[in-house]
Amino acid sequence: METDPSEATSAAPSPPRGVYFDGMSSKRRVVALTLSDTLQIIEDGEMLAGWAYADIRRADSPPGLLRLSCLTAPALARLEVRDPQLGSDIVARCGQLEENLPNRRGVAAIVGWSLAAAVSIVLVVLFGVPLAADRLTPLVPDSFERRLGDVADAQVKVIFNAKRCDDAAGQAAFEKLVGALRESAGLDNSVQSGVLATPIPNAFALPGGKVYLFDGLLAKAENPDEIAGVLAHELGHLRHRDSMRELIHNGGTSFLIGLLFGDITGSGALVFTSRTLVTSSYSRDAETNADTFAIETMHRLGRPAKPMGDLIFRVTGKEGGHGLSIVSSHPLTEDRLARMSKADGAITGAPLLSPAEWQALKGICGSGKI
Amino acid sequence: MNDMSWTPLGPSQPPPEPPPMPVAFSGNRNEFFRLIVRGAGLELVTVGFYRFWLATDIRRHLWSNTLVDGDGAEYTGRAKELLIGFLIALAILVPVYLAYFLAGLKAEEGQAFASTPLVAFFYVFGQFAIYRARRYRLTRTVWRGVRFWMSGSGWIYALQSALWGLLVGVTLGLALPWREAALERYKMRHSYYGDLQGSFEGTGWEFFKRGWWLWLLAPFALYLTIGAPFVYGAYKAIEWRWWVSGIRFGEVRLESTLRRSALIGLYWKVIGWIALLGLAFLAYLALCVFLVASMDATPIAEFFKTEAFAKSIPLLVLAGIGYLAFALSMNVVMRVYLMRDLWVRVLSSTIVHNIEAAANVTARGELANALGEGFADGLDVAGF
Repeated sequence: METDPSEATSAAPSPPRGVYFDGMSSKRRVVALTLSDTLQIIEDGEMLAGWAYADIRRADSPPGLLRLSCLTAPALARLEVRDPQLGSDIVARCGQLEENLPNRRGVAAIVGWSLAAAVSIVLVVLFGVPLAADRLTPLVPDSFERRLGDVADAQVKVIFNAKRCDDAAGQAAFEKLVGALRESAGLDNSVQSGVLATPIPNAFALPGGKVYLFDGLLAKAENPDEIAGVLAHELGHLRHRDSMRELIHNGGTSFLIGLLFGDITGSGALVFTSRTLVTSSYSRDAETNADTFAIETMHRLGRPAKPMGDLIFRVTGKEGGHGLSIVSSHPLTEDRLARMSKADGAITGAPLLSPAEWQALKGICGSGKI
Repeated sequence: MNDMSWTPLGPSQPPPEPPPMPVAFSGNRNEFFRLIVRGAGLELVTVGFYRFWLATDIRRHLWSNTLVDGDGAEYTGRAKELLIGFLIALAILVPVYLAYFLAGLKAEEGQAFASTPLVAFFYVFGQFAIYRARRYRLTRTVWRGVRFWMSGSGWIYALQSALWGLLVGVTLGLALPWREAALERYKMRHSYYGDLQGSFEGTGWEFFKRGWWLWLLAPFALYLTIGAPFVYGAYKAIEWRWWVSGIRFGEVRLESTLRRSALIGLYWKVIGWIALLGLAFLAYLALCVFLVASMDATPIAEFFKTEAFAKSIPLLVLAGIGYLAFALSMNVVMRVYLMRDLWVRVLSSTIVHNIEAAANVTARGELANALGEGFADGLDVAGF
């Protein structure tokens, strides 16, 4: 190419060539290049541009092509050199050629900052979110919490496909039991409660003062104190506004952990697992507090707390002994039972329900249906 | 090409002339594979934040190796722009999510699950994000020192897309070709290369004529799972061919000769790899359960019966690590086959007519910000 006949240069061998795009139009210009104090780009003897070597940067290109840009030229002006000899000559003169391309140090910085961000998110999840949940819960107006409860109420009924049981005698017994507990616990009469016809042995509290007992648990219970203890436990959740706190806590944790794992395909499972680990330790604390509340409430009525432990034990069986149970949302059943039996003193109060009332309560959903 | 008159005469002229094909791909597959594997590893180490840099590197590789009329394109976007776009999108999306939550609460008060229609709002928002993300990518696409760019409104596009989407739903998918044609027309009409305005000449009817039989096959393919990759592969090939063949920039005309069967193999390869990886993952899980159970001295049967396996920390950690490795290798497979190989197959079947019309185009157009990419990332509707 030094002897290209089409180039009308007289004496000196024609300078090496490249292709130049001036960044103003897509016109492809075959140019001559002179490597003097600047890189001179010359078309038909007319100098189009002179690039200072310090300002020249490499641009992405297909293999076998050196593509250059210049900081002081139009942003998209490009010079392309295909000749490897000329290419290495230019590269040798440009000290900061690779400056704007990602390099090893850049990657290290990304890793470092990402880890810092991850650590900060984890710290916020472990310490900041529980604190925020504790502080925010008292600020949530009752009316809002009740509205949340109504929403949850509607969904629970759809999910469990359950109806409220309304056998008159059973309902009267249930209300008597709840009323006694409520008074002992010092809660006002905004508390709503009911029995749902579902074979699952469980009970739960919803935000805004709703307590539900499932018929399945009633079927497993052997005396009124067992059910009373469970209801007192749920009233404890209401008293501590645990569901509201848990909502804020779960929402914040899910959001932050979701942020952390971002894009990795199917990270949903990971998010779920790590969230379970974090929130269950938190909920274990709430459960222990509700147990304390239940024990105190029962004792104030002069009734024992141990029957509640017996009932839970009957439902779950022995739980410990198989690895760590850091992921379970409740404390171990045997630990709860042990705690309740230890706390119990002498029984001083009258039974909460008469045998007839107890039979009515057991049959609130229609006996033999479940 | 008119000035490319120099012919290699001297002995030291090994660099090959640009290939004679109007469109070619010069990238090395192993190089792309290394890029993806390294990126997946870094994504793991950086808990996903590396995705912005990986996406940028992938685009840089694909763009700069795409040669049109002998000249390689260039991707000038940078990962930092994507990161900033994501952070801003987050700052906007968080209050939106919160408002969504509260509005949902209000709706649920009346009736359980009444808030489901609010999902529609996020669909429209996602379409907006898709438009704006396309605009970002287009303004970072440079060929011969002139950038592509885009005008138009993301919200108008989102509205059109949503209304057409509704029609597609009502007609059980029959209106899909017309929807795609209408949306492509809007996008291409507002796309430019310098001062060369784009347009889209594909029609819904044409698309329908080529693909109606797939619409009939789709229910069977869904029923007999084995048929799905065939039907989907054929559908994608028809769609690509129709789409490429409809693109115009001024007098420049694109044409695609992609065969219907061209992409089916790719989908089967992906399925095969995922099945293999899934088996490996299951074997690894079984090994972990066995190891943990023997450490715990619990018989395997009891281990499962008592559900202790769901509570064992070492097992959960091991399973988590295995799952991450599985997800990342799946990502590698999908990116190699469904991004790079698909790109190459579509490119190699593309012909550009009348490229001379783009020989002297005046540069125009402003850079768009990466906010749309951020939204697309936040809403999980990201494309390339």
